[in-house]
Amino acid sequence: MARMLGPVSRSGPRTLGASLVVMALLLSLALSSSVRAQGRGAQGRGAQAPPPTPRATAPIDLTGYWVAIISEDWRWRMITPAKGDFPSIPFNLAGQQVAEAWDPAKDEAAGEQCRAYGAPGLMRGPTRLHLTWLDDTTLKLESDYGIQTRLFHFRTPTPTQGARTWQGVSAAQWIISAAAAPLGRLGQGEGRGGSMKSVTTQLRPGYLRKNGVPYSASTVFTEYWDVHTEANGDRYLVDTNIVDDPVYLQMPFVTSIHFKKEPDGSKWDPTPCDARF
Amino acid sequence: MARIRIMRVVTFVFVALVASVPAFAQVDLNGMYILRMHEDYLERGPGSDLGDFTGVPLNDEGRAKALLYTSDQLSMVERQCLHWSPFITMYRPQDLRIWSDADPNGRIIAWNVGGAHLQDVLKIWMDGRPAPSPNAWYPSGGFTTGKWESDTLTTRTTHLKTTQVRRNTGIPASDQTTITAHFTRHDDYLTIVVIQEDPVYLTEPHVVSRTWQFDPRGSQSGRRAICDSATEIPRLEDSGIVPHYLPGQNPEADHMTRNYNVPKEAAMGYAETLYPEYRKRIRNTYVPPASCGRYCCGWIETQGVPGGAPNVTCNDGGFAELGPRGRRAVDQPSTAK
Repeated sequence: MARMLGPVSRSGPRTLGASLVVMALLLSLALSSSVRAQGRGAQGRGAQAPPPTPRATAPIDLTGYWVAIISEDWRWRMITPAKGDFPSIPFNLAGQQVAEAWDPAKDEAAGEQCRAYGAPGLMRGPTRLHLTWLDDTTLKLESDYGIQTRLFHFRTPTPTQGARTWQGVSAAQWIISAAAAPLGRLGQGEGRGGSMKSVTTQLRPGYLRKNGVPYSASTVFTEYWDVHTEANGDRYLVDTNIVDDPVYLQMPFVTSIHFKKEPDGSKWDPTPCDARF
Repeated sequence: MARIRIMRVVTFVFVALVASVPAFAQVDLNGMYILRMHEDYLERGPGSDLGDFTGVPLNDEGRAKALLYTSDQLSMVERQCLHWSPFITMYRPQDLRIWSDADPNGRIIAWNVGGAHLQDVLKIWMDGRPAPSPNAWYPSGGFTTGKWESDTLTTRTTHLKTTQVRRNTGIPASDQTTITAHFTRHDDYLTIVVIQEDPVYLTEPHVVSRTWQFDPRGSQSGRRAICDSATEIPRLEDSGIVPHYLPGQNPEADHMTRNYNVPKEAAMGYAETLYPEYRKRIRNTYVPPASCGRYCCGWIETQGVPGGAPNVTCNDGGFAELGPRGRRAVDQPSTAK
């Protein structure tokens, strides 16, 4: 052991100091590589530098046009099924009773024809999505199905009071992959890998499915957003959904929905809400 | 000596920190995962409707082969496990058990995915081994390699045996099928995206995504036993008979249209029916069925409230007539003297 440490003791304080500096640098890199950041990433990088924006630190690129591939639950997602046809929804009795009372004419008369286009229902609909940055801290999601807009707020304080809307209030954060961030590339945004998590509240009561499957105002809608790029260049956006509604569900309603990237908006076809089809 | 001690401490702390960063497995997938049958419930539970090819981009050959299918085929020993290929089962109703194999240095060289009734365990090689020759033996689980892409485990499977994609429908997958899959875990949720490419029976990749939930109690079956087959109809044994419908004679080819008003081309799995613009074509012709015919009571049976509950009029397919163990009242042992 003494032989192994010999060079250190021979080389004197200057070498020791340099070694400590190198080790401190490596330590700081090792520590920073395991950071999970979402817009607060500038902390500790110096008081002078402005914090990097969520847009700049995005680990994945969600922007662009995406089309839903209706390869699952086709007859419940692509078309309006019969009243009472809702297997796979983990209803409780109250949910079943409300669903059986579904009356699209009544919804139309009440101006509630968008009930199936609220965020938890919309995402499983036959829609195209257009995602863009509204500003450096807000991601905007638009759908041509029902012409809806949802905003993902990375920094803006989430209001706890206010009118409930079909799209609610979505708080978002980046989940940046720890292990995928190679030393020396930290802070470069795209390429590090990761995902987006969003939690949506303040929802106006709506439908999980077109035929009146209800969710209540107490619903908390959690989503994890991932992008996968295939060898042939195809890109898929995968939205893992957890609908937690203590009023109408026995347990959280968990699904995942996949969209394929499109080169442009040439197939974008805004269609207003329709309570029947 | 003081400098040496400082160096020892600093070195120890550095090594401990670096060692704490996972080098080979970005996310620990080990454990059991319970299914959440909240999408494609019929396919994963009681079984798909006959003639339901919705959502599968079949070509003409795939469609023709699927229409030859009759459920009698499952009575044949050699075909009983046809739809339990490990990867096809990624979108079946299985609880999953995932575990890793490590080399003597602790480096993960493979992930294993097991589930009830599968033909085999899906083994995902992580050691960079080359794919076998296209002429090599095709095991039930195929040959799969994996790599981490950020926190997602991406796998590619080749060398798959011929199988059936959707239970009870006969939708075929050829031995030229390749599967790309993405395993992503977020908190307790594991989402698996499966992209199936088949130049023989598909016109474009067939994509499905499913989500399971981590079960900290490990109480799911996740067993590694292979699909068991047995002779169910002796007259088929060694008879050379393969139950099938001749082309154009499948009486269930219009089952989905008859029962749910699903347009024929959608029921038959044409790729263009998978995308939103298809709705424009059927907007003026599609009419929802007047009422729900079966599986209409949702999940309320699990709460012990079948179709006869107050203010619920659903058609539960006869469950209300069943006793607590699924036996009709007339089958219950009588306690009357």
